[in-house]
Amino acid sequence: MKSSDDNDNLDKSVEIYNRINRLKAKLGREKDDRPGHIDEKAIEEADAMIVALCAECPNAIGGYLSELGKLWEEMRDMPESKERENTSRAIFTLAHEIKDIGSMCGYDLTAYFAESLRDYIHETELNMEAQRVIIQAHLDAMQVAFKQGTEEADGPMADELKKVVKIAIDKYS
Amino acid sequence: MTSTIYTEQPQPYDLSSFTVLLVEDSSYMSALMCSMLKAFNVGEILTCNDANEAIGVLTITQARKKSRFVTDIDIIVTDWLMPGGSGDELIDWVRAHEDDALRFMPIILISAYTTEKVIAMARDHGANESMVKPLSAKSLASRICTVIDNPRPFIQAPGFFGPDRRRQEMVLAGTNRRVMTSQELKVHNEKL
Repeated sequence: MKSSDDNDNLDKSVEIYNRINRLKAKLGREKDDRPGHIDEKAIEEADAMIVALCAECPNAIGGYLSELGKLWEEMRDMPESKERENTSRAIFTLAHEIKDIGSMCGYDLTAYFAESLRDYIHETELNMEAQRVIIQAHLDAMQVAFKQGTEEADGPMADELKKVVKIAIDKYS
Repeated sequence: MTSTIYTEQPQPYDLSSFTVLLVEDSSYMSALMCSMLKAFNVGEILTCNDANEAIGVLTITQARKKSRFVTDIDIIVTDWLMPGGSGDELIDWVRAHEDDALRFMPIILISAYTTEKVIAMARDHGANESMVKPLSAKSLASRICTVIDNPRPFIQAPGFFGPDRRRQEMVLAGTNRRVMTSQELKVHNEKL
């Protein structure tokens, strides 16, 4: 029978597993303790792929923004319901996607507002009127930033758009 | 203790024998990361849209692992935030698995959230490495090399199973330092 001391030790016990390095063994380098590397040319090639995919970025962001607009049209006057919750989740996912792609491809200002919209939807629960104003402000800012081709997250245009969104947030949250 | 003296630089890693499971909900990001992994000459890349799909793939590959026609997965690269099952759910499932081939599997977590938040979350769920979007080829290559070169010991402690959360040996001074008894500490050294 275990004593209460044994149980205490069991609760606090720590086990350490020192495992064989299977990945290094698979590479046939199990006896080589030097840090390895990936071919510089392969890294350059991968970076070139990022650049090539970023050439498609405007189309992708444009498509997402248009989808976001449609979802918001549906959600704006929807009463509190499961459907509204699902639409809000879809907006969250799209905003997250725009943030990913925008920041990857240099559309920093669009990515900035997408991130703010994503975090706003995820982290706060506001009344319907506040939601309407704040989400609309984010969508408008993203559309303007994207259409004007404002890539930098700083500068007079960026500051102006950020100010407008901040006013909406401060007033309604 | 003897140390080997090397006269030449190591060759770049040939990852053609590796299989990577890539879990990413965004088709755009998934295509991009696939291309990057292909550029690194990764032999096989399996893609899933979310944690639930990845759990299905891992379950099937583990069930069939004795077949010589099915490749084991070597590294999981997963996004954090995915609508159909998130990266932390996937890590929790992997680390709680009874099969050693799964629960010790190297995992690289990718996220679009801020660095500190991701690092803390990834560490506490048992990810081996974490990286923040936007991605670069260099950062992905560096995480893969770290997973290969520096496999940290795994720790089983109350409420945690995963790679040692301490990156380096710390010398703790003072009388409050906790000294573990042999009953509390068990070390498993795997041998060839």
